[in-house]
Amino acid sequence: MDFSETAERISRKFQKSGHTIDPKKIEGKLRRLIEEFGVQPSEAERSVTNDLAKEFNIPQMGTTGGTGKSGSATDPKNIADVSPEEWVTIEGKVVALSSPGSPAIAQSGIIADESGGIRFVAWAKSNAPVMTVGSWYKIESAVVDDFKGIASLKIHSGTTVKECETDGALVPSTVPVVNLHPGVGSVRAKVIQEWDTTHERMLQSGILGDETGTIKFVIWKEPGKEKLEVGSVYNIFYAMVDEFNGRHSLNLNTATIMQDDGDIEVGGGNATVRGALVHIAPGSGIIKRCPVDGCNRALSRQNYCPVHEIQPRFIYDLRIKGWLDDGEKTHNILLQRDVVESLTGITLDAAKEIAENNPLGMDEVFLQMRDKVLGRYVTCHGREIDNRILVNTCERLAFESSEHAALLNRAGGAP
Amino acid sequence: MSSNARETGRREGAFEREPARRVFASELRECRYDFKEGTDEKSPTFVLLPTGERCNRIFIVGTLTEKQRQGDQNIFYRGRVVDPTGTFFIMAGSYQPEAMQQLAKVDAPAFVAVIGKPSIYRKDEASAPMVSVRVESINIVDKDTRDLWVLDTAARTLDRIEKFKTSPEPDVKKAKEIYPAIDPEVFRRMAYDALAQIKI
Repeated sequence: MDFSETAERISRKFQKSGHTIDPKKIEGKLRRLIEEFGVQPSEAERSVTNDLAKEFNIPQMGTTGGTGKSGSATDPKNIADVSPEEWVTIEGKVVALSSPGSPAIAQSGIIADESGGIRFVAWAKSNAPVMTVGSWYKIESAVVDDFKGIASLKIHSGTTVKECETDGALVPSTVPVVNLHPGVGSVRAKVIQEWDTTHERMLQSGILGDETGTIKFVIWKEPGKEKLEVGSVYNIFYAMVDEFNGRHSLNLNTATIMQDDGDIEVGGGNATVRGALVHIAPGSGIIKRCPVDGCNRALSRQNYCPVHEIQPRFIYDLRIKGWLDDGEKTHNILLQRDVVESLTGITLDAAKEIAENNPLGMDEVFLQMRDKVLGRYVTCHGREIDNRILVNTCERLAFESSEHAALLNRAGGAP
Repeated sequence: MSSNARETGRREGAFEREPARRVFASELRECRYDFKEGTDEKSPTFVLLPTGERCNRIFIVGTLTEKQRQGDQNIFYRGRVVDPTGTFFIMAGSYQPEAMQQLAKVDAPAFVAVIGKPSIYRKDEASAPMVSVRVESINIVDKDTRDLWVLDTAARTLDRIEKFKTSPEPDVKKAKEIYPAIDPEVFRRMAYDALAQIKI
């Protein structure tokens, strides 16, 4: 095995801080770790770097992430293929820079290649060269971590950043709004709604949508940023997708935005699912809600609200949480009071009566409702938000003889 | 960009409930092969249907014809649920107290909907494998629900038979390998007979 390249890299790093180390000596250390102790090359590199850093009293040369994953840290990878806790080498174009939020950060932004984009952070201590938007860089031995569920590339002191000659145009592929996942995403979408800004630093916020669904967006005040027009369609490349409370939102500050002449029929996440109710979850039936204005949280059995503590003057409500299964996929559903009443035939008043007078109390309401709906075929219409359908209407399915006849024909038809 | 390593890596955290497959008793009875995806203790176990689909969970509606309480230390209930094509063997033990109590409450005969997990076991080395269904939930339903289930299950079975012929999916390939003697076309006949039993 040849360690000279890695040794060279380590030696270069120390040269920057004014120490000259014989690459041969580094090579020896690497060889010992890798060949005698079976250490992964990436881990050995980190370990040797840290070791030498200690020797020269340089704080924190490598990172502390002790579990450098296997796989070569030096072969360039597609950006879309990197995963957290990996040491990677990538080659990409800086498509956006954002103002760093802390003095510990020298630069942050988005770097992308043909396969996709990823957020990056260059630590101030990394001594990395200043990167500019629109240029290509080869970033060697950076670490991918997972910050709030979002993969991000960390450029630390052990990372080598080299500008590349490449000057390829990068055409990002847009994805349907429903397929956006936290990280970096590109969409073609229409501005459906604009909201009042809730913060003085906010330029604009609202809702974007395409055929598949909708997503919240925000643009923060920054020089050169412009508001989007309601009703217009935009190609949005490399926006940051965040997740908060299970909902996604788009931060457009990093994005390249181009207006598009076309129009989009926005889907709005309308969902219709026909299937069997295969599970009624605990917390269904009659529940108590916090009476504090704007709270409305479900209370525990002891009338405890997670925010407003004990609330003896609670409000009763009905709901069913469960799983609706069409045989291919199981959908998480939530039925609200009026839907529950019409599906089960148990009104809120009747449920209250049971809850207060039956020895089993609220459990009895749950059991009666479960017995009425579990295993039944229904059709639900509603809005799908993050894999959960908020159901507006839910009806029992009726037997259709036409469907029966069609199936008989299909089964009896020539094989 | 839609299906990359990073996405699947993160998606693992998001819980996806295994769908409940629709299968007639006489197809489920033929299952001989179960497997696990992944090495985790909690990874789901699947039974491979002869029509080439994996199932971790099934949804059945039929008539509970028999119910028996067994064991004294570890009480469990066994039952037989009959559909137009054959019999499902269901069981619920004290490890699923809720399912057991639900089953205990039902008096045979009754139309029941069962959500459960199929598994394959043998009494001993020499005997033929049996497929039984460990009950997660059971509930009394009406005849309409049973009829709807027959339509649903016939449609799903026909879908699988059609897919079986052309699909290059690994599960289909595997089924061809495991069940060389079974021609899925027999399940077309079975579906037809099941549909024909519904009186209009």
